[in-house]
Amino acid sequence: MRPIIGITTYVMPASWGVWRDLPTALLPHDYAAAVTRAGGRAVLIPPDDQDTDVLRVLDGLLISGGPDISPGLYGEEPGPHTVIHPERDEAELLLLQAALDRDLPILGVCRGMQLLVAAHGGTLHQHLPDVLGHERHRVAPAVYSRHDAVFTPGSRIAELMGADVAINCFHHQGVADPGKLVVTGRAEDGLPEAVEDPDRRFLLGVQWHPEVGRDRRIFGALVAAAAQSS
Amino acid sequence: MRRPLIGLTSYAQHVQFGRNDMMAGMLPMNYVKAVHATGGRAVLVTPDDPGTDVLESLDGIVFTGGGDVDPAHYGAEPHPQTEVDAIRDAAELLLMRAALDADLPVLGVCRGHQVMAVATGGALHQHLPELIGHDRHRAHAGTDPLAASAGDYGRHDVVIAEDSRAHDLFGRHVSVNSFHHQAVADPGEFVATGWCPDDRVIEIIEHPGRRFALGVQWHPERTADLRAFVALTEAALIDRKVAAVV
Repeated sequence: MRPIIGITTYVMPASWGVWRDLPTALLPHDYAAAVTRAGGRAVLIPPDDQDTDVLRVLDGLLISGGPDISPGLYGEEPGPHTVIHPERDEAELLLLQAALDRDLPILGVCRGMQLLVAAHGGTLHQHLPDVLGHERHRVAPAVYSRHDAVFTPGSRIAELMGADVAINCFHHQGVADPGKLVVTGRAEDGLPEAVEDPDRRFLLGVQWHPEVGRDRRIFGALVAAAAQSS
Repeated sequence: MRRPLIGLTSYAQHVQFGRNDMMAGMLPMNYVKAVHATGGRAVLVTPDDPGTDVLESLDGIVFTGGGDVDPAHYGAEPHPQTEVDAIRDAAELLLMRAALDADLPVLGVCRGHQVMAVATGGALHQHLPELIGHDRHRAHAGTDPLAASAGDYGRHDVVIAEDSRAHDLFGRHVSVNSFHHQAVADPGEFVATGWCPDDRVIEIIEHPGRRFALGVQWHPERTADLRAFVALTEAALIDRKVAAVV
């Protein structure tokens, strides 16, 4: 049996076929495809605030990208460009805390990395153009911007990425303070792009979108770590 | 008490949400809410993977609504109105057969009900209006299916056979919503136990050799009548207690 990777989902009004704006649990296909290609079995975990019972069948947890997390999670008021979905925050935080308690392998992507940071006492920049003076981390709607990241030698992400350090970004918020996590990758402008907890079996956050290219280095590492817990 | 884990098959569908327009694994939240409201915990099983090993983790599974099953799976040529979903067919026919083999509690809704028939050697009517001369199984005349609210589903009665699982659940009659243009013609290994009294269209099938395998042609997840989901959750709980004792 393949390791099961639970992936958190969006809940958004969605339209397809004859249907218009139905409340829908959804997740870009790339995530499940990347898990499948890396040898895992993806299941999607729609938000639920009752309990974290579902973790008993998961071998790994992937916290996916999406809208901004509530600034209240790091002690700030929402800024004018911040778009939040509090019910998703609540459900994902509940799962994340329980997964941390179990030392389950965890990968956070984009919003997922930002949630990891907030859960570890860190803070975010709510709108990067206001801080950095440029929009190179989100150049246009639905367009990923390419960056060359610099990874800390000896870190997990440096070992996984090897010589190919190209990353694809689409975000307008970023990590200001990583809290108890360690920044192990940065963009050319110094913005944190990867965070880890080196004391855990597998806890990695990436600000870019490795699922789009089905990156076997990163998803393979998650599935391999999950295989050890299954 | 631990909640039974209920898998929901999901769409792989090009979908618009927010400013996005992309392929997504997705399912209307009604299904998720129906599972959570009846004491289960829902996870979505994506169709992009041909394996069945995920069933080992589930206490029950719902095969959900969606597009038409490819008629090639029951040896027929496609009708012009038939719009197949080949990716879901491949994944769900495998999952359905494996779930029935494992005697996992199974609920089929609309397309899922039709998958039950096809996966066990049955067949479908491809376009009901040509068979029965009306389109009342899809929507009320004059309503706009684009509005997609529950009231746009055609409503009708279902009569139920005595001595059936469905009869235990619903009694002799149940009033249902309806949104489909195909229907079960031959239920395969399943047995038909509920019909629309006006046109004899099969509305309920169940598998006599399984602890809980029930298909309904309507959409209980869009109503307040969640008895089919309650029955699934109860079967999933019993299933696990038996497993725990063994």
